[in-house]
Amino acid sequence: MIEQSHQPENEELRIGVYICHCGSNIAGVIDPKEVVAFAEGLPDVVHATDTLYACADSGQRLIKEDIEKHKLNRIVVSACSVRMHEPTFRGAVAEAGLNPFLMEMANIREQCTWAHGHDREGALQKSMDLTAAAIAKTRFMTPLDMIDVPVTHKALVIGGGVAGISASLDLAEQGIETILVEKEPTIGGVMSQLNKTFPTMDCSI
Amino acid sequence: MVDAARQPRIDVRAFTEVEKVEGFVGNFKVTLREKAKHVLADRCNGCGDCAKVCPIEVPNHYELNLAPRKAAYVPMSQSVPLIYSIDLDACIHCYKCVEACGSLEAIDFSQEDKIVEEDIGAIVVATGFSHFDPSVMEEYGYGRFPNVITSMEMERLNNSAGPTMGNLIRPSDRRNPQRIAFINCVGSRDKRYIPSCSNFCCMYSIKNAVLLKQMNPSVDITIYYMDIRTPSKGYEEFYDRAREMGIHFIQGRPSLITEDEATHNLFVHSEDITLGRVIENEYDMVMLNQAAIPQPDQNHMSSVLNVAQSPGGWFMEYHPKLRPIDSPTDGIFFAGACQGPKDIPSSVAQGSAAASRASRILLSERWEIEPIVAVVWPERCTATTKGRACGLCVKACPYGAVVIEGDKAAEIITAKCHGCGGCVAECPEDAISQLHYTDAQLLSQIRALLADKPEEKILALRCHWCSYGGADLAGTSHFEYTANERGIKVMCSARMDSDFIYEAYRLGAGAVLFSGCHPQDCHYITGQIIGAKRAVRLKKIFERMEMTEGRFRVEWISAAEGDKYARVLNEMQDVLDKMSPEQLQEEIARLKPEMEKRLKRFPGVPGVPEAMLYSDNLVDAILKSKEIA
Ligand SMILES: Cc1cc2nc3c(=O)[nH]c(=O)nc-3n(C[C@H](O)[C@H](O)[C@H](O)COP(=O)(O)OP(=O)(O)OC[C@H]3O[C@@H](n4cnc5c(N)ncnc54)[C@H](O)[C@@H]3O)c2cc1C
Ligand code: SF4
Ligand code: SF4
Ligand code: SF4
Repeated sequence: MIEQSHQPENEELRIGVYICHCGSNIAGVIDPKEVVAFAEGLPDVVHATDTLYACADSGQRLIKEDIEKHKLNRIVVSACSVRMHEPTFRGAVAEAGLNPFLMEMANIREQCTWAHGHDREGALQKSMDLTAAAIAKTRFMTPLDMIDVPVTHKALVIGGGVAGISASLDLAEQGIETILVEKEPTIGGVMSQLNKTFPTMDCSI
Repeated sequence: MVDAARQPRIDVRAFTEVEKVEGFVGNFKVTLREKAKHVLADRCNGCGDCAKVCPIEVPNHYELNLAPRKAAYVPMSQSVPLIYSIDLDACIHCYKCVEACGSLEAIDFSQEDKIVEEDIGAIVVATGFSHFDPSVMEEYGYGRFPNVITSMEMERLNNSAGPTMGNLIRPSDRRNPQRIAFINCVGSRDKRYIPSCSNFCCMYSIKNAVLLKQMNPSVDITIYYMDIRTPSKGYEEFYDRAREMGIHFIQGRPSLITEDEATHNLFVHSEDITLGRVIENEYDMVMLNQAAIPQPDQNHMSSVLNVAQSPGGWFMEYHPKLRPIDSPTDGIFFAGACQGPKDIPSSVAQGSAAASRASRILLSERWEIEPIVAVVWPERCTATTKGRACGLCVKACPYGAVVIEGDKAAEIITAKCHGCGGCVAECPEDAISQLHYTDAQLLSQIRALLADKPEEKILALRCHWCSYGGADLAGTSHFEYTANERGIKVMCSARMDSDFIYEAYRLGAGAVLFSGCHPQDCHYITGQIIGAKRAVRLKKIFERMEMTEGRFRVEWISAAEGDKYARVLNEMQDVLDKMSPEQLQEEIARLKPEMEKRLKRFPGVPGVPEAMLYSDNLVDAILKSKEIA
């Protein structure tokens, strides 16, 4: 069982904030420097800066170096969707020795500049608020450890067409026991019904 | 095919369906239904003596019903595995097959479906595609005119292993057709049916033309097309070769096919865009290149596997560019046409890619999952305070991860918890929290988002998997919506605590959106149902308070519904725009005490007082900093 973790008592928070340009994807609609200036005025923010591509090697390196240099213990990245780069930035802060769950992203691209391209002032206000909310969340974040689970070394492939057969063969050839489930009485899928097939014009079976 | 059967580590289970998938990455429990074949797999040697004596013939759907099969059958002679089945719907119980099988004793009429459970580490979904039925397009006469056939029928008629042994004949009189028209994009790229392109029909159209022309250079073949799509390596060259062979290409989408009743010859009426004229040509036979569509049971499989579907109904990948093979569920991967129409080279490549994605997990001893699980403060549970656990958390959990033993406080079995947050929001005592989505974290986020002019803002609570993805898609597609939206993310609508919503209105929020997945898409089996019940309850409460309709909105928005996300937000903005500022302020002020009443116990939640204190500070700083910046 996992214990409820509390905010470490009297921990001094040192938040680093990174506002990404994403080339012109973000910076074409808002001025990231304005968001930086805004973030600098918020509690516990000891370092805020803009960066051309936060996800690029150079951007990640910047964050890692700053963690060291400014003794940062919380990171906020205002950039794209968490579905895009949360693993990237979690990885980057972890490499700098910070627990990955002490990093929070604000989505100012998909959910801001891309959606409000014709409302620059609205997008700027929203970028500031989303960044502030991410900062607020980091205030109550605690280090967390990944949960480690065992793995059953057996694969299931559903569908015995050419895609499923190809997956099954590759899995099996790596030594993995594979169950290939096919709802019809024979595997083969559509390909087994075809005459010769392009591009090579060989027989399909 | 044979390679798969020969590979000792592949266990081919044909005539089998997946009934249930439970568990999580590395630890799935899968229930399979092995359908009764009435033939014992370990005894049948594939000799086919049963089929030889069987007196019953029915259409063979594998041959698209162009040829018969027996009631004792295999779909094709190269079936893998080569095990016969008895089709009981057709069988007349003459038992001639049993006699023919003799001492092998492979036929067993008493066999029933078998349910088996398997422990699985990772799953590759490769369920493929199906074919559009062109008979709904009456203008083409499929089903009425015998010599109008589909591309799949052509593949069988033109096939040396097919019912005519590769001798292409017209169904009406079994003569070899001399003039053949192929029509591309039948059902595809057609707003009435399938708006998208089916990817491979241009190519197989050219393929079949080349094959027929090679067999008989005197046949006359015309392909009617809208655009010819040959984007892969060597495909354009293939098209060039077809033109050099004298295959005709007419750019135009035929509007009508008519038939000469006496000869069963066909007239194709079309525009010829190059000539800028309407044309009418006579043919002996017409082939319709029907669109590729999702499997008829794709919706069902999508709920069994708990994976979402793209707008066209195909399975939806985690990210179209960066993670095209992964499903959003860790440990489940897609390969082939089930994710969208694709040809054989791409399907094979995806099969290999999916195997490689899956083997990262399958070849590991252990796998890491996110620690965003629920945790209990036992001292707050009614078991401790009142001597009896109320058990609402147990009811809320879709995974049976909450247990109450005797008079002890509720406990979470971490390995079973998927982190929906349902128990957290349902617990009346606030005795449960969710790591990384604590009340303190979410509350301080909400307060930051509503710091500046809250009455203009629309607070949007979205679930991670669907509505947050829908909001992303709105942006990716550049569907613009009001910049007054302020989004917050939780894993599931089950986590959307009523207190957050009361707090938002107490702070003076203009509107609140409560948005999660559609019930059948829920990543947490029934998490959405828990969330939806709460949302309905809240809606009633706000109605009773006479809150202006539309200031609280509940919507189920999938990751594929970017357009809907944008529309809903714009409609909510309209609601606010219709109210005068005074009217809105008056309503906010009137409802504030109501919200405060409902929030009476909120400050008792661990972390909440600290978050409140912090937020007061933060809000001041936000306002000040905005003034300066
Ligand atoms: C007329 C025509 C001609 C074509 N010619 C060519 C060509 O010449 N060259 C080329 O590259 N491509 C061609 N294609 C495309 C080719 O058919 C596809 O690329 C290929 O079949 C895709 O393979 P798949 O494994 O993804 O799907 P499928 O072939 O559809 O196989 C899916 C398999 O999964 C099984 N299945 C489905 N649901 C379930 C379930 N719930 N449980 C268990 N099993 C299930 C099905 O029974 C089937 O066996 C052609 C297509 C058509 C229609
Ligand atoms: S591949 Fe060609 S025939 Fe098929 S839908 Fe696309 S354009 Fe039409
Ligand atoms: S819902 Fe809350 S109070 Fe009730 S048993 Fe569960 S933890 Fe205890
Ligand atoms: S209800 Fe959800 S959060 Fe609570 S224990 Fe079950 S899976 Fe975990």
